[in-house]
Amino acid sequence: MPEKPIQGEKRAFMTGNEVVAWAALAAGAEIMYGYPITPQNEIMHYWTRMVPKYDRRFLQTEDELSAGFTTVGGVLAGKRAFTATAGPGNTLMQEPLSMAEAMRLPVVVVVQQRGGPSTATVIYSQQEVTMTTLGGNGEGLRVVYSTATHQELFDYTIKAFNTAWKYRFPTFVLGDGYQAKMRESLVLYDPQTRGIEMVPTEPYVGKPGLPGTDRPPTHMRNTYNVEEELYEVLEQYLADYAKAAPQIAEYDAFDTEDADLVIVSHGVVSRACKAAVKELREAGYKVGYFRPITLRPLPVDQLRETAGKCKQMMVVESANGQLDRLVKEAIFGSTVEMLSLFKPGVGITSEEVVSRVKEIKG
Amino acid sequence: MGKMVKIALAGEGGQGVQSVAQIIAEAANEEGREALYIPNFGVEQRGGVSVAYLQIGDEPIGAPKFQTADIVVALSDRAVRRTNQYVGPETVFVYDNGIENIEEDLPKNAKKVLGIPAIEVSKKELHPRVFNIIIMGAVIKATEVVAVEDAKAAIEKKLGYKFEKNPKLREMNFRAIERGMELVASVM
Repeated sequence: MPEKPIQGEKRAFMTGNEVVAWAALAAGAEIMYGYPITPQNEIMHYWTRMVPKYDRRFLQTEDELSAGFTTVGGVLAGKRAFTATAGPGNTLMQEPLSMAEAMRLPVVVVVQQRGGPSTATVIYSQQEVTMTTLGGNGEGLRVVYSTATHQELFDYTIKAFNTAWKYRFPTFVLGDGYQAKMRESLVLYDPQTRGIEMVPTEPYVGKPGLPGTDRPPTHMRNTYNVEEELYEVLEQYLADYAKAAPQIAEYDAFDTEDADLVIVSHGVVSRACKAAVKELREAGYKVGYFRPITLRPLPVDQLRETAGKCKQMMVVESANGQLDRLVKEAIFGSTVEMLSLFKPGVGITSEEVVSRVKEIKG
Repeated sequence: MGKMVKIALAGEGGQGVQSVAQIIAEAANEEGREALYIPNFGVEQRGGVSVAYLQIGDEPIGAPKFQTADIVVALSDRAVRRTNQYVGPETVFVYDNGIENIEEDLPKNAKKVLGIPAIEVSKKELHPRVFNIIIMGAVIKATEVVAVEDAKAAIEKKLGYKFEKNPKLREMNFRAIERGMELVASVM
């Protein structure tokens, strides 16, 4: 048996793509399927470099449609499988992931957002929020974690496998080109030493015994003959999702209790917002910080509660209101004034957030 | 120590600004400090100016990029023009004074503008291949973000396998760091 990739804990300084590869190894991922696209390429590079030593597998496919479908196939065979993509690759992957939603398959996908629409830039954005949370011809029966630091990239990539296999919904780790390419420190660890047990996997097909005699037959469907048949299945799925949502939803917040204005952001932009809120507080501004960690499902109750206490909410994102739309839906009926700082496809610094708040507050 | 330091390094592809930033970041990390380094890596990078953004401090670091740097190092005419946007009243701007026809483009609003003959020194005294290590010495002197011993240790970690074969390379690299520090010290 190959040795564990990480013995105990160790401090590391590396790129986010490398972090994802280490996290997948630590989580016991057995196979990655993928097709290259910047800025996620190095996830594949590091994975393929490391897997021979740890007896894992990699398959490069001809495109992202195929990478998505082979990941679906890996999961059907009971493998802890994942893929990674970005931008137009994420667009193509919505088709296979829609199938994963239809069959409740615990596929794990890491997305490193780049500029859009289309090829746009290979650099960075937060413009894949709508697509990653609600893409495909379905109801968004999936989980999306938006990470902000390398430590979180590691933690939530491991967690994504467990969330996926526990609840049986496709699960995404939503990073971006900055997180993919930057280097910062984190602690790598073997999940077991932190008391994290990996949820066991099992094959969906090819189980032992005679179907119908020794066990119920496996009946995987993504197609239905009549409307009512589909409706019945979806009702069950939606009920399962609604039940799981409060258990899955995560957020981070501070200084919201007495805040007039609460800044809402996610992912790497929340780093700028966190620094901005601290600086503004020191300057006497009554501002607060709210960051959904799960973009799907959103921490709806906590968002509504926060909106109910403050006068203004300012959504800050590197997109033209993709998080904003999700937040507005979640707090529908609230009378809080909604403000924004949108910079589609461009990074946001704490200086910009500070000056925007000062502009508003005078 | 204490305050967070924001550094922007810019040059032509091949001048080694990315590896300088990475080695300094790794040295800071080895010291147990917080460090964040991000390159610009767009298609622009191919045939454009290469920019490295580096932040070092004692608290967790915020956004990976910033608007105003504490120190800007520009190593070509295009890099000088490109990095003007990162200069504010508190910025120390370091450039190579062997670059021609850039007097007009040097920032007017910087705290200090320091010209150093790094290209010339690398060619005449050392070797062009340690040019970026001279720059590294200059950055370390101007910012004091890491101790010189830790910077040397980080170089050793990265290039040690080459030094094993040719110990003279080690000597030259360490000399380059020291020369870089001297160049900045003489104009500060």
